Amino acid sequence: MTAAISRDEFVDLLRDEIGLAVGAEDLGRTFDEVPGWDSLHLLTMLVLLEKQVGRPLSLPDFLDAASLETIYELVNR
Amino acid sequence: MGDIPVRLLSVGTALPGPPVDTAALATAFGMNQVWRQWVDTFIGTRTRHLAVDLSTGERRESLADLGERAAAQALARAGVSAEDVDVVVFGTATPDTLMPATVNVVADRLRIDGVPTFQLQSGCSGAVQTFDVAASLLSIGRYRTALVIGGDVIAKHYDVKADLTALPPDELVNYVLFGDGAGAAVLAVGDHPEAPVLRSVLTRLSGLGRAPGQTLRWYGLADRDGGEAPASEDYKAIEEHVPVLAEETADELLDDLGWDRSEVGYLLPPQLSVAMTAKITERLAFPAAEEVSCVADTGNNGNALLFFQLDRLLPAMARPSRAIAVAIESSKWIRSGLALERV
Repeated sequence: MTAAISRDEFVDLLRDEIGLAVGAEDLGRTFDEVPGWDSLHLLTMLVLLEKQVGRPLSLPDFLDAASLETIYELVNR
Repeated sequence: MGDIPVRLLSVGTALPGPPVDTAALATAFGMNQVWRQWVDTFIGTRTRHLAVDLSTGERRESLADLGERAAAQALARAGVSAEDVDVVVFGTATPDTLMPATVNVVADRLRIDGVPTFQLQSGCSGAVQTFDVAASLLSIGRYRTALVIGGDVIAKHYDVKADLTALPPDELVNYVLFGDGAGAAVLAVGDHPEAPVLRSVLTRLSGLGRAPGQTLRWYGLADRDGGEAPASEDYKAIEEHVPVLAEETADELLDDLGWDRSEVGYLLPPQLSVAMTAKITERLAFPAAEEVSCVADTGNNGNALLFFQLDRLLPAMARPSRAIAVAIESSKWIRSGLALERV
């Protein structure tokens, strides 16, 4: 099955649309280690991801996510 | 303050329009479930009132409209007529016009004239600042009755056609935090034994070398296309500094008065958002105090907040009892607070 969003597209969205200075190698970092990360970035990211994957997402599913990698996996589940 | 006791006779409040819950806000801006869930989880504000019609962008009420309603209610509740008012002090960050000052428009509508009027350009500490100015004048015997008013209307910053998904976080946050409203109070000296006594008021600029946490710009013909965001907020700095400043303020009030923390029956904490207010209240740690908050219902309406809290406190305040209020302005950082005692 094709992923709803590829890893490269996910990194592009984080860098270009949210303005986070991250690369593919940073996805496994915990949010504490992502420079400038806060709850508003989580919101912005989920709203943009919804547009990209074309289906509604639910915040509670993502609240326990510890890293961008986990978010990527949840979106593609 | 001087030696003459100043009492809080009454409070009045005014909110525009019906309460707007987060679902209605989401619908108006085309936002969806995840956005509503985020506001519920990280902000916690259930409803706010807006002076702008979300479906049309039309402004329903001005700050003068709301200030007039709140002040008229406060005067009626105190049994004080316009002729009895010796001085008027108004605090706002969002006057209807820079000139005339909104305080004078409201005074005119209430038929108050021939007395000193002051308008403070102020943020979330504004209500306390109006108390400070008025109480200073009353307690030295210069005047007997003061009308203090505070309020904000953010309609001009509320673009109902905005694409919230395209806004940077420091602008987006304004759409979910804030609401409109006004409040007023009558302060007086004299024989009012049933009214709580204002034991202390403090306002302290605490911004030395510290960048503003909130910026609200205004424009004229020459710079209106400058491209700077009209309203922006450094919410991370606010999260970091406001709890510390709130604690310093509460401690200073208690030290000045010689009150023990356990003797305070009511705490009126800063009203940034439900989530932030809960954190600050926990940090302030008043063991016996009942929390008096309004932000879940009113949204953060700036200069009006303390009046809404006092409106809830006054009918509930036991005799005898003590109350502490704390408010923090995060633009250039002003910490403020007051203490009331009903004896």
